[in-house]
Amino acid sequence: MSSRNHDQWNATPDLQQGEWVDSKIYSDEEIFEDELKKIWSKTWIPVCHESELKEAYSFRTMTVAREPVIVVRGKDMVVRAFLNVCPHRGNMIERRPSGNYKRGTPSGTPKTMTCMFHAWSFDMKGKCVNISRKAEGYQDRLNESQVGLRELKCEVYFGGFVWVSLNDDIGITVEEFAAGSLDVLAPSLNQEPLEVFHYHKAIIPCNYKLWHDTNCEFYHDYLHYHNRITGFNEAYFARKNSGFDGGHINVGSFEVQYDNYEGSHSREELSFPHLPPNHWYMIDMFPGVNFNLRGSALRCDLMTPLGPNSVMIEFRGLGLASDSKKDRQTRIDHHNSIWGPFGRNLHEDLLAVTGQGSSMHPMAESRKILHGRHENETIHDENGMRHYYEEWGKLLNRSPSNPDEKFKPYPAFKEQEAQRAAAAGK
Amino acid sequence: MAENKHDLKEQVRELIYNTCIHLDDHQWEHWHDNCADNFNYAIRAFSPEVQADIKYHGGDKEYMQSITSMLSKHNSDQSPLRRHCTVYRVEIAADGKSAAAISSLAVYQTQLDGINSHVDAGTTSVFLVGRYNDKFIIDGGSIKFEDREVRLDTRRLDKGTHWPI
Repeated sequence: MSSRNHDQWNATPDLQQGEWVDSKIYSDEEIFEDELKKIWSKTWIPVCHESELKEAYSFRTMTVAREPVIVVRGKDMVVRAFLNVCPHRGNMIERRPSGNYKRGTPSGTPKTMTCMFHAWSFDMKGKCVNISRKAEGYQDRLNESQVGLRELKCEVYFGGFVWVSLNDDIGITVEEFAAGSLDVLAPSLNQEPLEVFHYHKAIIPCNYKLWHDTNCEFYHDYLHYHNRITGFNEAYFARKNSGFDGGHINVGSFEVQYDNYEGSHSREELSFPHLPPNHWYMIDMFPGVNFNLRGSALRCDLMTPLGPNSVMIEFRGLGLASDSKKDRQTRIDHHNSIWGPFGRNLHEDLLAVTGQGSSMHPMAESRKILHGRHENETIHDENGMRHYYEEWGKLLNRSPSNPDEKFKPYPAFKEQEAQRAAAAGK
Repeated sequence: MAENKHDLKEQVRELIYNTCIHLDDHQWEHWHDNCADNFNYAIRAFSPEVQADIKYHGGDKEYMQSITSMLSKHNSDQSPLRRHCTVYRVEIAADGKSAAAISSLAVYQTQLDGINSHVDAGTTSVFLVGRYNDKFIIDGGSIKFEDREVRLDTRRLDKGTHWPI
């Protein structure tokens, strides 16, 4: 058989459970709503970095599972998160991406979050401190203690990232949620304070999981001239791709040969604490977070799913807060050469997922998206995606390969091979 | 001297506009030829998200020559970019040896292969807006770029590009 007709194209691949997914998971509106409700509203999501909230009264705004969120640093220097929603009439309180409440706003006094609509004000702990003309309107029927902001679970963890959960009953810390997946980089990121030096965002017409898939698999190095020329040696192909509870993975390191790329140089002059020069680790956390440490620069991708075929990706670059001016510039240049919006790799990755997004629309003939490479859980093994979709299937109770059916736990690959051999009468 | 300054201003304008054509048409070598040996290039924007000035891209002449020479080895969005540039101000130093210019810039992208070519190819949209902040060295009859900052207003570049702006 060479090319295939409709039935052949739609036939179940001759692979094991978990080794393919149905493209419907990347395009279906109902599945997307299910994901927001059962995954994005339930778990820990990193939303920014503490260096974006340096001073008391500074704030950042963002969106989690369509909910507007504000993160503020109080005068006690504690970072807290709230719904960015006024309890009076539901207006979004803060419209700016960032700022500081030490200065007043046109409707509000300094050091308060004030809704511009009717000037209700809140302190940095979410307590309502002013209901305008309260006595005249509410007499003694309502007071400030009854109309505080909706506070969200919030932790600062792992190199200063700010994590938020909409789920009051989450019951686990970020550390427990990470299930050990972050440990490989914890010494490098926790040694001393980090600082964001790069931020840009992209809105891409593809499902958020397609971006996460791309971050989870390195087989797509064929897309990147830079990676092929600076990697692709024995050590490169030996890198381990390890799964952790909760659908997280991380990828082991090797020494990147930057000077193999024409015009580029070794980056051994600058690294991170405890990280050997020119080394490269990556962590992909469920449901859509990426930490990527290449020697001198840490990249972090945070995703905000906007629709079945639309995702906003925020790209941050981080160095050490203690960097000299020269070191900081070096980190910026290293970061941008690959990962900036004009960098060599990021543009290529974004082109690829845009192409996937164009192909996977709700009316499309089903595509069986293959995740079936096995290479002893090394760099071109696709176990990272299989691991992710096992967790995804569990949480949604949908089979990734047939999302209209209920999820069945994946047997281990070796068990699947044995079952397959038995079925074939071997 | 006043007449000479006027001539120099015209030459600076002409250089900026000709460089737009070189960049539009990927005549990278012509662009590099018009840059001094100590040329420095940067694309920057202020991010109100993180309250910081962000350098998106850049390097010295050797670096820019290197990355443009390797474009054919990379997978890129080949959708053409066209610059609409208006030189707002040219200032010639009192000694006549240097100049600075500010130009308004809009870059349009006409889709070719960046999304779904059957549907989108031929569609033009604004790729970015910003300014060129340029500095020049004037040496006898020769004017060369010493520094180019592409100062962006646009901060959502989505897929981005491999090409210098």
